[in-house]
Amino acid sequence: MSTRTLVFSQLARVPGVAIALVGLCGIFAATSPGFATPANIANVLTQSTILLLLALPMTLIIMTEGLDLSMGAVLTFASIVLAMIAVGTGSITLAVAGGLAVGLCFGFLNGALIALLDIPPFITTLGTLGIAQGLSLVVTDGQSVVGIPRTIEAFYSGTVAGIPLPIIIAALAYTLTHVLLYRTRFGTYIFALGGNREALKVAGISVRGMLIRVYMFGGLMAGFAALLMTARLNSAHPTAGIGMEFDAIAALAVGGTSFERGNGWLLGTLLGVVTVGVLRNGLNLLAVPSSAQVACIGALVIAALFIDGLRGEQ
Amino acid sequence: MKRLFSLTAALTISWSGSTFAAGETIAVFTKNLTNPYFQAVRVGTETAAKALSVKVIQYVPTKPDSIPEQLSQVEDVIVKKPDAIVFIPVDYKALVPAVEKINAAKIPVTNITDRSAAGDFVAFVGADDYSIGLAVGKRLLTAMGGKGNVVILEGVKGSLTSTNRVRGFTDALKEFPNAKLLASQPGNFQRLNALQVMENLMQSFPQIDGVLAANDPMAVGALEALEGAGRKAQVVGINGSKEAVDLIKSGKLLASGDFNGFIQGCVGTEIAVRNLRKQPTPKEVMLKPIVVDKSNFAPYETPVEQRACPALEQVLSN
Amino acid sequence: MSMTGKIAAPRFALSGDVMQMLYRVLAVVLLSAILAMLSDVFLTANNILNVLRQTALLFLMASGLTLVILTAGLDLSIGANVALSGCLAASVIKLTGAPLAGVGVGILCGTMVGLANGVLVTALRIPSFIATYGMMWMLTGVTYYYMGGETIHGFPAGFRQLGSGYLFGVPTPVYVMVLFLAIGALFAQRTIWGQQIYAIGANPVAARLSGVPVERRLVLVYTVSGAMAGLASLIILARINSAQGDIGEELTLPAIAAVLVGGTSLFGGSGTVAGTLIGALLLTVVLNGMNLLQINSSWQPLATGIIILLAVWIDTRTRRLGE
Repeated sequence: MSTRTLVFSQLARVPGVAIALVGLCGIFAATSPGFATPANIANVLTQSTILLLLALPMTLIIMTEGLDLSMGAVLTFASIVLAMIAVGTGSITLAVAGGLAVGLCFGFLNGALIALLDIPPFITTLGTLGIAQGLSLVVTDGQSVVGIPRTIEAFYSGTVAGIPLPIIIAALAYTLTHVLLYRTRFGTYIFALGGNREALKVAGISVRGMLIRVYMFGGLMAGFAALLMTARLNSAHPTAGIGMEFDAIAALAVGGTSFERGNGWLLGTLLGVVTVGVLRNGLNLLAVPSSAQVACIGALVIAALFIDGLRGEQ
Repeated sequence: MKRLFSLTAALTISWSGSTFAAGETIAVFTKNLTNPYFQAVRVGTETAAKALSVKVIQYVPTKPDSIPEQLSQVEDVIVKKPDAIVFIPVDYKALVPAVEKINAAKIPVTNITDRSAAGDFVAFVGADDYSIGLAVGKRLLTAMGGKGNVVILEGVKGSLTSTNRVRGFTDALKEFPNAKLLASQPGNFQRLNALQVMENLMQSFPQIDGVLAANDPMAVGALEALEGAGRKAQVVGINGSKEAVDLIKSGKLLASGDFNGFIQGCVGTEIAVRNLRKQPTPKEVMLKPIVVDKSNFAPYETPVEQRACPALEQVLSN
Repeated sequence: MSMTGKIAAPRFALSGDVMQMLYRVLAVVLLSAILAMLSDVFLTANNILNVLRQTALLFLMASGLTLVILTAGLDLSIGANVALSGCLAASVIKLTGAPLAGVGVGILCGTMVGLANGVLVTALRIPSFIATYGMMWMLTGVTYYYMGGETIHGFPAGFRQLGSGYLFGVPTPVYVMVLFLAIGALFAQRTIWGQQIYAIGANPVAARLSGVPVERRLVLVYTVSGAMAGLASLIILARINSAQGDIGEELTLPAIAAVLVGGTSLFGGSGTVAGTLIGALLLTVVLNGMNLLQINSSWQPLATGIIILLAVWIDTRTRRLGE
């Protein structure tokens, strides 16, 4: 084998998203003086945490040949409930519990509708999106919920040993999801849900129960994401999370998770989320006009999948 | 003429006398790329910047009105440390943490259009939405002879602008007890929305004599709906946009409240620059409510790109 | 599915689809009856015409999309396509004063975008969800840049008849809707190409083996979806008499909802264009009813969400019954 083919075949093993990430970082570091500073790196990573909390369970869900379009709306509603409890009772603990409860409830609703009533996930979660969005609007009448005890801000702006707390939370979430997926029975069942449901039935595992659990996991993470969002805004707003599920799906598609084949790659999701965050941050630092930024994001998503498609054929 | 010349000369000298090296960078934040109001603001900031030899950089969320995105943009911009910031918050409550971050980074920030719920600002430049609503409302009701059926088209639920303008409308109605308010519905500040809402209202109410729209696109939407149904009513809007002015000229629209982002962009930038150059700045500039109608629309016909920024003194003395 | 040389017959021939259609028509009738009782303006000529006009717009957006979903694909870019096509068409109308030129440009733009989507999905093998999602962003970026935050307003009266006019007392868009209903239904049900599209959705492998040129048909459906978006943009322009960078963006999800509520399956292979019309009608009637009853508009997303769930749930039940 010639050296060129050897190098090429090694490169072909490196996932496209990693190349994209390194490439973008290189470009931005070279063209923008503020990019490669510790402060900005922390900035980008912190900004990516909320999306990561959504993208991680989304990866699992997609691996089960499902989809959750309601995550952004559930995040929004959970953050509103969280905020209202915090304002009403002054207790952050109760508020967090409330937010997580909302997430779990919607997760259960999604899972039940999909598993028990056999409604396709796209449609189910489109429906629950409407429900969560509607509830958010009705309950707040379009206004922000303010007056939350300021201690909540620590969840987003606090640091532990110099590392921003959100990054630590995201790291924990990643580790949890990783362990769940690759080291537990639950994870094996998720893989089975994706391509081999018969095996589950033969093993006596309830497919329905599994599906419900997977979507509840999604709802739970949306609840945590809601906490970070509320801490970031020190308020809750009925439009805060709109569209985030699409961003999450795009990020994990960039990261190599495929809908068609249902193969999820958790690390890829992480890289995908960070790549999107780096792109946005870099474009802002370069003061690229907003309309061009919009086009760039689309181009990134298509390019990433195009490259993946190319390499898939080799 | 001579007096004007010497006044201008005096101002120019005092201006240039205290100018530092030009070329300061000002970051300008607006809500979205689609509402012409914010485009007028951006044009205002660019026009002022050119006149003052500073550079402005525009930051607009890629997802219109996205709160998390504006937050991220603020955080990114702080990394770049611009000399000053001119800020329109996507939501006046939710962006308070962003303002606090700007304050913590010691970047002077001027607030325009939507008054932020908290934070330290060099100044606030805005128009009193309430007064404009009141003035425009009174204009409509006077034209209606003080009686008849009226509907209100509100803006986006929860937005400060909408709330205050509608308050002005309702207070105007209080002064005309013979006029009846049939309904008050949100049109989201958007044309198609307002058109459909108006169509629905026309179903429910066979007689509508006046429409109070919280902004021009909605006023135009209402007019389209009326025209489509072959009905007539007096309609007023708020913005003083080119489209509204054209319609006022042709007699279709009664009046529009002047709430043109151009001047706010100009003044906000001027104040930001003055503050950087250690010149005195007012703490608050509230533009007077002006109602644009058939009698005074001429100056509003010039597109914003071709207008010059008014001098600060002139604005303050109004 | 038969693996012989014959292409499997389109599912519409089965009575299951007819049942689904019947249930939906029943739902619309029932809903209308309830609304007629609750509101004395619902059944007035004016209101019915308004509902039809609004339905027409939604249907036109969703009609091309139906073909895409029949192949088990998705087109998330239709809203952004409407914006770009509409803005370009508006500029041309203003520039030339000739509405026909604008119409041509609008449809051409929509078609080209659809074609691009088709290429992304077939030649570049990008999943339609992502391909059209990325395209949506790119189109939006180009539109925002082109419009520069401005609005284009004021079109010739003749052009505006397309959106807000009446012909023999019926709103013009309704005629367009009926025209494309007929074209769409005939195409899907009575042409070889239509049958092939159903076959691709039902079983792409079998279709290919049966000789169906899968890639060409896929490109076709995305192109049609784009062309319809271009057409829809013209109707919007004519209706609101202006163009702005974000027109049509709020119609993407409702269009998808209309197709799904209309009985077309996301997995491809079953569904009808007529079903999409009824889906669009159902959704519009619900929103119209809420407006007439002066229900807080904040409840509208909630209502839409519930309708979608109900419609599809009923579908899955009746499909089981039919089997």
